[in-house]
Amino acid sequence: MERFLQYLFDGLSIGSVYALLALGLVIIYRGTGHLNFAQGEMALFCTYVVYQLGEWGIPIGFALVIGVAVGFALGAVVEVTLVRPISKKSPFAVFIVTIGLFQGLNWLDGAIWGDQILPNSAVSKQANFPTLFPSKDTDFVTILGAAWRLKYLGVLVLVLVLTAVLFFVFNKTKLGLAMRAVASNPESAKLVGIRTNRVLMFSWGLAAAIGALGGVVFAGINNSVNLGLMFTVFIYSSAAATLGGFDSPGGAVIGGLAIGVIENMGAGYFPEWIGQELKLGVALFVIVVVLLVKPSGLFGTAKVERV
Amino acid sequence: MKSLVTIHEGRAANWALRLVAGAAVIGVMLWVPTHGSNPLIDQFTNAFVLMAAAMSLNLLLGYTGQISLGHNAFFGIGAYATGIIVSRWGWSPLVTFPIAFIVAFVIGVLVSLPALRIKGIYLALVTLALGLVFPQFIKWRKLTWLTGGPRGLDNAGFNFSKKRRTYEIFGWNPFGDMRGQGAKPFYFWIAAGVVVITYLVCRGVVKSRSGRSLIAIRDNETAAAVMGVNLAGTKAMAFGISAGLCALPGCVSTILTNNVVPDSTFLSIAGSITFLIVMVIGGAGSLWGPIIGSGLYVFITQKTGDWSDEKNIPAIIRPFFSWAKTSPGTGIFAVTLIALMFVAPRGIVGVWHQHSPRLMRIVPRRAGTGTGTGTLVDTPVDDTVAGEL
Repeated sequence: MERFLQYLFDGLSIGSVYALLALGLVIIYRGTGHLNFAQGEMALFCTYVVYQLGEWGIPIGFALVIGVAVGFALGAVVEVTLVRPISKKSPFAVFIVTIGLFQGLNWLDGAIWGDQILPNSAVSKQANFPTLFPSKDTDFVTILGAAWRLKYLGVLVLVLVLTAVLFFVFNKTKLGLAMRAVASNPESAKLVGIRTNRVLMFSWGLAAAIGALGGVVFAGINNSVNLGLMFTVFIYSSAAATLGGFDSPGGAVIGGLAIGVIENMGAGYFPEWIGQELKLGVALFVIVVVLLVKPSGLFGTAKVERV
Repeated sequence: MKSLVTIHEGRAANWALRLVAGAAVIGVMLWVPTHGSNPLIDQFTNAFVLMAAAMSLNLLLGYTGQISLGHNAFFGIGAYATGIIVSRWGWSPLVTFPIAFIVAFVIGVLVSLPALRIKGIYLALVTLALGLVFPQFIKWRKLTWLTGGPRGLDNAGFNFSKKRRTYEIFGWNPFGDMRGQGAKPFYFWIAAGVVVITYLVCRGVVKSRSGRSLIAIRDNETAAAVMGVNLAGTKAMAFGISAGLCALPGCVSTILTNNVVPDSTFLSIAGSITFLIVMVIGGAGSLWGPIIGSGLYVFITQKTGDWSDEKNIPAIIRPFFSWAKTSPGTGIFAVTLIALMFVAPRGIVGVWHQHSPRLMRIVPRRAGTGTGTGTLVDTPVDDTVAGEL
């Protein structure tokens, strides 16, 4: 029981990071129908920014706000300058552009901050990556014998609160209504006077901002940031989005938590067969099975193709 | 568009042009291993490895329109096929090429089975996951007895215990010095051989009936199916051949370094992305695109490789790159890739096809089986530009 709860807690906490990035993927997919392969790398850039602000002695709460703002700006700029003009050409061109962004942003991080693991004692003043939550070894709560570290628990709470806020925005505000209108039918949305361009720009910005938050909390859990940090997170979160359905934000959150739990349970209960090495295999397996059995995901709407 | 020179296909001028181009290629190929310095030969060899991999991806992505980000896995299958067979069983590395092809072909067909239902961006996702899982899979505890785990396998290349023959014509050795353990020209020729085989297979597929069905699938799947193209079979075939071909440069990479480790560049997801970038920059959906792209890629990464040290950057462009802590090669390619999507989505070859008619136009031979003189209606010579597409 203790073991089960332990894996469950860890899984939920890690899963909430996947949920954040998956939310970003879903928001973009709903708005523009593209899968943003650079989602993880955009988040990574903001994570590095937060690290740098920490180096300059800015407290984490403030740094996080700036990091998320940078994320929003990055997402919006990418949408306006790259994705919007190129999406008129072909979906393949957008795919290539996101791959280019993926490569380019990763290179940019390396060029600015170097390819070592940060923070390290040689170059940085701070000993740990700044976290929002108490992160000493003694900071945990015990539930039925299983320890839940506060920095893990905090991430989960943060994600749940954020999800609630987003749901309010999506369902109860005019902006959310506009976003849903653009997602369901861009032409009609334009006709009733919604500024689709602005909504799309906002969607990309929002997605990148949420991703930035995910990157920062993941680096906090991980206690460091490096160039490869987001590769696997991206795959897990796209598995989460696939599981939940690519057009369902709620599905993305549930999918993210589920993927986190499945991955941790798999690695924990089958250390010989899955273990740490093949954790990623779980993500691949989930993606393939979901796409084959129920391509629209658990909560997504099935797509009808017209010829 | 008025062009300076108009050449009709099959005429003497056309043959002369082909002859000159062929002679230039053969000339370079003979000059490099005999007179080039060792680093130059190395550079060519690396370019060949990348070329073959990019060409195999091109067959799938450029011609069939199936996005794959998992080609590093097929490359790795080739690398490990050679590694395991040579290192564990001591067979000759040359034997491993067909074996690697077959293994990768089978796995490629298996991967294509879900691909028949999964389309576009989802396929990219599945193959991306495959590409990321592959190195982890190699390091898997249960497979260490075979793959050597994270440390990989050693002694996986050629073992030069026997004295090899050299070929000399009047004291001139056309292939370069192939004796000794570190004989660069030997590896040059192996890599070149793989490129030639890959090119011929790609050309054979593309210019045939099956090639036309691949392009039909890329351009409009539904229309292709209506025209009688067997979607499932053709896609599976394209996946299989592409995977099999991608394994061959993998074998070469193992032979080159004499060992294989799961974390080397082309075996990780960076490999897939490199193949993709090279292919798109050169020109997706054209036979020469990946070749030009790879040459350029290796040249630029080689040139910029030591630019992380400020002193090595040429003075004129130093202010642009001196701030970077890593070499700017990857960044240059990423920016080029994005820029190309705006100005020339068909890559360098596309730009050539777009602008070369101003200079020279090759009028293709008229299609059909008639003799051309006895036809009732003498149609004017087709004005389109000859090209791959």
